[in-house]
Amino acid sequence: MLASILASGLAVGAVYALIGITYNTMYLTSRVMSFTAGQLGMLGGVFGSLFVLRLGLPVLPGLLATLLACALVGVVTEVVAVRPVLKSLDQHLYVLSTLAVALLIQHATALEWSTEPQPFPRLLGLGAGIWDEKYWLPVAACIATIIGLEYLYRRTLVGRAFVAIAEDNFAARALGLPERNLRIASYALAGAVGALAGFAGGQLLLAFFANGPLLNFYGFIPVALGGLGNNRGAVIGGFLLGLFQQAANFMVGGIFSSVAVFTLFIIVLLIRPQGMFGAPAARRV
Amino acid sequence: MPITRRGLGLAGLASSLPMGLATPALAQNEPIKIGWLAAMTGPSSAPAIGFNRGVVWAAEALNSAGGVKGRKVEIITRDTQGDPTKAVNATQEMISQLKVHAIWGPTNSGESLAVTAIMARGKMPNIHPCVVDSLIDPQKYPNAFRIAPSNTQWDDAVRGYTLNIAKAKKVAVIGDTTGYGVTAANASAAGFQKDGAEVVYKANIDATQPDMTPDMLRARNAGAQAIIIWSVSTGMIARMLNTRATMGWDVPFIGHPSLASGEIGTLIEKPANWDKVYAIGYKSCSYDASGKLPPRNEELLQRLQGKVNLQDTLLWWVACGIDAVNLVAKAVEASGSSRNEAIIANWNSLQRYPGYFGEYSFSASDHNGYPVSDVVMSAASSGKNGTFALAPGYG
Repeated sequence: MLASILASGLAVGAVYALIGITYNTMYLTSRVMSFTAGQLGMLGGVFGSLFVLRLGLPVLPGLLATLLACALVGVVTEVVAVRPVLKSLDQHLYVLSTLAVALLIQHATALEWSTEPQPFPRLLGLGAGIWDEKYWLPVAACIATIIGLEYLYRRTLVGRAFVAIAEDNFAARALGLPERNLRIASYALAGAVGALAGFAGGQLLLAFFANGPLLNFYGFIPVALGGLGNNRGAVIGGFLLGLFQQAANFMVGGIFSSVAVFTLFIIVLLIRPQGMFGAPAARRV
Repeated sequence: MPITRRGLGLAGLASSLPMGLATPALAQNEPIKIGWLAAMTGPSSAPAIGFNRGVVWAAEALNSAGGVKGRKVEIITRDTQGDPTKAVNATQEMISQLKVHAIWGPTNSGESLAVTAIMARGKMPNIHPCVVDSLIDPQKYPNAFRIAPSNTQWDDAVRGYTLNIAKAKKVAVIGDTTGYGVTAANASAAGFQKDGAEVVYKANIDATQPDMTPDMLRARNAGAQAIIIWSVSTGMIARMLNTRATMGWDVPFIGHPSLASGEIGTLIEKPANWDKVYAIGYKSCSYDASGKLPPRNEELLQRLQGKVNLQDTLLWWVACGIDAVNLVAKAVEASGSSRNEAIIANWNSLQRYPGYFGEYSFSASDHNGYPVSDVVMSAASSGKNGTFALAPGYG
């Protein structure tokens, strides 16, 4: 039982963590919580199944096509749902606009793809039992993403520009950084990260349009637990959430496991409203 | 002669009298209009597409044979998209503007719950295949007739097979977390307990839960001899079947027709994972050990060949659609009238009407027309041209 909890808990936790990173990546350059993050994860599974299983592409080109397709969805989200509301962030109109795009994506997928879960291909054909690839692939994808993002943010000019925009938007613009282009790039990057979550977790979650809201909710929890904009917090929060959820599934089962997850979530936020790894917001007085 | 207002009024009245007298003659020649509330598009369109094939085929067959006492059958379809609001609008249009003689559908319970009272107020003869028990109540809805099993009949069939044929006395009852899944699982568990069986495990599982190992382990540890499934979620069912195979457990799965959905075949890890799975089916659309359907439907298959595609649908949907049209036509033919009361009175008097999907019997106090004995269990993985093999154990 413990092995099963660890295997599937870490796997779904990795998917949640990646969706949390998707939220953060979009948030850092726009200060917008885009509720399309879960839909990007869902699309990762759907496009993966479409390209690899239906269109017969090999796994690697199928993955690249999936990442590109979701990056494009990310860019469209920025143009359609984020850019028009940036001037009135304090009114939180982005909640409505990004939720609208999320619903649009979900319904379009239901109509054009299927309302039933569709199979996702076996990618490498490696492992069995608790060592099956469907359990460790999401974890591997999560680790690769963390390393890649750390490299991007610390070692590349573009990555440093991202960080600069995230630190102080006005100062970065004053220094001549192309804020709009960087924001578009960050939404494309978020699309690719979300796609990777869905692709790597496709064998667990299947290619199913209803995964969108699920990932939206469970992907948001690591962000709230780990601290908004904190990728390391999101990763730790995601893995903890996955393990706790799977343990709750074994201990109390079914509907009650969701109750247990949300109870813990509320308790943590009551104790640390800024999240486990977030700093309290300072206010100049 | 001066034209006065009184004279003009009298002349108008006089000229309208012949028109009034001519009305019955017009009624004798006008087509029999059957409203068809079909969720032809949207998430739950698969059944309506199947029903529609039967509806169109039946109307064409009747019309090419000269119609019903010379009257053509006209099908007026409205796509409700599975949306109760659209179903309500279409129903009101059919009653008030299109003046249909009877309505067939809707074909899902959510829509039917929204329109049944409206049809009752309009005294509109209505037949539908929806399973929710409360949709049939001859006191409240004397116009509504069901030509498919109710939830209770499904439940009875599953329990009967589990206890009497599969001989399982300890069962795990599992539903999804939808309203239907919760209600159906509760009713099923209560039924098993009433019949002296032991419900060793009962759960409602979120259909998107990626790993079914916890629930399957609990069911096995509790000593379940059969898993009873009440869910339309093919993803959840397929995951459970894959988990059963991984656990090396050969417990039978018995329950909802979705267990036989073709989608499951694409989601299971290997075909053997679908063995020992028995879904609700119908005697009329199940083939025996020699691969033959009952004679009436063997003949129907011959007639449908080349005209109606059965590869991607279920025969019972098509047969039920045919029966719906034929029931309206026969009522008009037998009563000689397409008035609401005449059609309803005829249906109330039907005894063992030989349809393709079933032999329907109605009375003024019972509008559940489908015989429970015709609800059987099918081998879920045996789908062929929209029909299934009878589950093992039937004589």
